[in-house]
Amino acid sequence: MTFTDDELVARSMGGDAESFNQLILRWERPIYALAYRVIGREEDARDVCQETFLRAFRALPGFKGQAKFSSWLYRIALNLCRDWIRRQRRAPVMQMPEGVEPGELIAETGPVESIEDLVSRRQLSALVEQAMALLPEEQRTAIILKEYHGMTFQEIADMQGCPLSTVKTRLYQGLTVLRRHLEKNGQLTPQLVKRS
Amino acid sequence: MNETFTCGDHGVLVSYLYDECAPDERRTISAHVAICSACAEELTALGATREQLALWSPPDAQLGFRIVSDAAPAPALQREKGPRVLRPPQWWRKPMPAWAQAAAAAAIFATGLTLGMTRGTVGGPERSAPLQASSVSSGADPSGPRTAAVTRADLAALEQRLRAEMRTQTRTVSAPVAAAPADARILEQVRAMINESEQRQSRELGRRTTEVVRDFDAQRSDDLARIERTIGQMDATTGVEVAQQRQMVNYLMRVSQRGQ
Repeated sequence: MTFTDDELVARSMGGDAESFNQLILRWERPIYALAYRVIGREEDARDVCQETFLRAFRALPGFKGQAKFSSWLYRIALNLCRDWIRRQRRAPVMQMPEGVEPGELIAETGPVESIEDLVSRRQLSALVEQAMALLPEEQRTAIILKEYHGMTFQEIADMQGCPLSTVKTRLYQGLTVLRRHLEKNGQLTPQLVKRS
Repeated sequence: MNETFTCGDHGVLVSYLYDECAPDERRTISAHVAICSACAEELTALGATREQLALWSPPDAQLGFRIVSDAAPAPALQREKGPRVLRPPQWWRKPMPAWAQAAAAAAIFATGLTLGMTRGTVGGPERSAPLQASSVSSGADPSGPRTAAVTRADLAALEQRLRAEMRTQTRTVSAPVAAAPADARILEQVRAMINESEQRQSRELGRRTTEVVRDFDAQRSDDLARIERTIGQMDATTGVEVAQQRQMVNYLMRVSQRGQ
């Protein structure tokens, strides 16, 4: 039997840790993806993800259900990402670039996609990642929440604590920077864009 | 929203791009885009950028987090809900205190002693009958006293027997109580060690696989670059040779025409 988030939250608040584990199972991938895209480091994203659920579990008695459980989780995760970015700014660590991940290569290599296509796709993905890293944190987060988590402008505004118009501006500016970067690297030629 | 859309209103453009605007607003922008090539181009470019964004996927990570509250209660539970309420063990599983054991032993001993003495002195007809019969058979006086049946030796033997029984009972009762928690602890430790070992092996495997595929990828890129370089060199060499041959043919043609 599948329970809704609200039902699982209620059971968790009643002391049923297994219900909370079901919530973790349901939300750990999106939270990890969010953390990875915001901070760009696999290991740290995993730590942020773990810490998000730990904090949520601790704060569960204070969760009043005014927002969706997922929004609440996203907010915790974003706060943790923000802390992480702040720490990195204070004490920047030399980071090795993360290349093609084997797990994905192995998992993604299907019978229809050749290794060349896969590598090319990975290179494109890396280029997008590189371009995203150029954006200021607010713009990057707005784009991530919109593009990969399908949030509405209003949800993003609530999450980021800013007016709706600011969210739209952040999205526009972020997309414009990305567009220029991709054009510069030959992935998005103006001619191509016009034709499509 | 105004009835007309002016170029440069990025907020409205973004709403249109993400299809998050009212129907009449959408109609207005569509009408504008149909006649304004700059806005149409901008929208197309932003849409193409969005398509590129879809290519970015985070690496597949091993997650599987769990809140464990039974074996090792989470600190959160302890803090938020106060100390965990432990159900008290059933009274019959508790080890018996020493004073109770001594009291029970004394009671059993006293009961046994009393019963023994009662049987010896008062006796029922069924118990006295054999005695009577034996007295008759041995030729003793049947009217003689029958109280000498319980002796000191009998009592001592009874005491010994009762003590031995008590010792056995105490051992059988206390042994499982002491052994059970110890077994559970050991089992828990063994499970934790097995889990840890599995996680370590899994991490190690993941790391090695990563290294192998990364090496393979690097090697592949190198090979492709080398092949490309070689092909370029060959192209260049072939081009030079073709040019030389063409010059030679031209020269021969000129010479042969001059001879004629």
